[in-house]
Amino acid sequence: MSRTPIQHPGQVRRAVTAVGSRTLEAAAAAAELGTVAAQATSGAVFGYWRGKRPRGGIARQMYYVGNRSLLFVLVTLGFVGMVMVYQTCLLTTKVVDGRNQVGAQWIRLLVLDVGPSLTAMMLATRVGAGIAAEIGSMKVTEQLDALRMSGVTPVRYLIVPRFLACVVMTVVLTMFGVASSWAAGGLTGYYSFQINPRIFFDLSMVAPAHVVVGVIKAAAFGAAIPIVSGFCGLRARGSSEGVGAATTAAVIGSSFAVIVLDLVISFVAMTAFGAG
Amino acid sequence: MRSAAGVRPEPIAEPMIELRGVWKGFGGRPVLAGLDLTVARGEVLFVVGTSGVGKSVTIKHLVGLLRIDAGEIWLDGRRIDALPERAYAEIRRRVAMVFQSATLFDAMTLAENVALPLRKHRGLRAAVALADARRRLEEVYLGDLADRFPAEVSDGVRKRAAIARALTLEPEVVLFDEPTTGLDPQNARRIDRLIRELADRRGVTAMVVSHDLASIFSTADRIALLYQGRVRACGTATEIRASADPVVVQFIHGHASGPMETPGF
Repeated sequence: MSRTPIQHPGQVRRAVTAVGSRTLEAAAAAAELGTVAAQATSGAVFGYWRGKRPRGGIARQMYYVGNRSLLFVLVTLGFVGMVMVYQTCLLTTKVVDGRNQVGAQWIRLLVLDVGPSLTAMMLATRVGAGIAAEIGSMKVTEQLDALRMSGVTPVRYLIVPRFLACVVMTVVLTMFGVASSWAAGGLTGYYSFQINPRIFFDLSMVAPAHVVVGVIKAAAFGAAIPIVSGFCGLRARGSSEGVGAATTAAVIGSSFAVIVLDLVISFVAMTAFGAG
Repeated sequence: MRSAAGVRPEPIAEPMIELRGVWKGFGGRPVLAGLDLTVARGEVLFVVGTSGVGKSVTIKHLVGLLRIDAGEIWLDGRRIDALPERAYAEIRRRVAMVFQSATLFDAMTLAENVALPLRKHRGLRAAVALADARRRLEEVYLGDLADRFPAEVSDGVRKRAAIARALTLEPEVVLFDEPTTGLDPQNARRIDRLIRELADRRGVTAMVVSHDLASIFSTADRIALLYQGRVRACGTATEIRASADPVVVQFIHGHASGPMETPGF
């Protein structure tokens, strides 16, 4: 016997309630994320420099975000450079021999897009997970409540130093990552396809606008990672399971934010300056 | 009114804390369902009940760590439930809270933990706040451990340091969330004595969430039993012991079976 929704109004009501409830939850989460972003940004730009702050707070975070991630970024982007140059050389030699263009095009792509986005994706996994786990643990053990009771705003105290450190160190790590990837690509081109290094290491395709867009992207990605990860940590519920879920959400959310921001900034840069 | 600890001061007609018809739910499930509760100035009120009944939730509303769904909360004649987050800074200077798990910050020494409220609420310089924090720690016999990190000391020491941090602003009200949980009997009775002294000597109003029957009956001026989101019984230790309500009888005698419904069982 077939069943229609009319015969089971309770099911319809439950389904509508579930959809409505999830929509409201998503809207509340979006509003909370917006609040965290606004507090972190205003705290970094205005409040943090006016008020008292923990000694060495930013330096400690810069060390954690930058120094501790350097090898990871250098190796990852180095391998990506080798693979990309190898595959591109293979493709170009099959149709028409364009190997001499690979180095110049690769550095343009690295500066404009691949360098900032890949570096940020690596940091989203390493730094984002760490931020969410640390803040999430503090949340479920009531340390954030204790901070609020002590007159401290958790976002300002925990996220702002990480925000500043991430913005600066993502730009710095991107520079190192681009250099590593370009150098590794150059070696691959030389040993596998006999591309003269003088031809490979050609900066003629890189315009100042590309560098500006690359730096803007790196800074924006660096801002997004602690905001999204901190937000996930602040929403952790329950016990260790909740911290684990927050950590997973932070890695996914930060990576997604990097991809969306990459698209938006590329679109704006292309439309406004023709350098997307 | 008498308590097991002795005669308490004459009750003051003006209440310090009032919760009127408070509702609070999580995920569609009501935890507090029209809770009414009044605490007199200088009184030690123990809030008791089974796990998950909303005891900690109740006291967190008093300092804005949670927001009620409906009802009213009054502190010293002023309604506080609708205040914005920023306005709670003043409330948190007057009302301190000791959390269940000490909640000291791992990256700070005990002295730095105790100094934090002085720096943030009172705007003291770090050196001045630290000197004051060391004095506070000496009062609870932790002067020698002031430069230790929380991970380097025992649970009992952490709990005492957390109490020192809560008292550092000399609050009018202190909320204790299971202060004796996880402590050995000796340390637990010390905490009980401290709570009693705060009320008797300094006139501090205390709300204590606890499961510890020894602590409850030795320290409380009044006891409020929460059940199904409301106060089921409220009175002195003698009154609670004499209660014929089967729910109260089951709770104070710790019977596994009875009329009391326990979440999860």
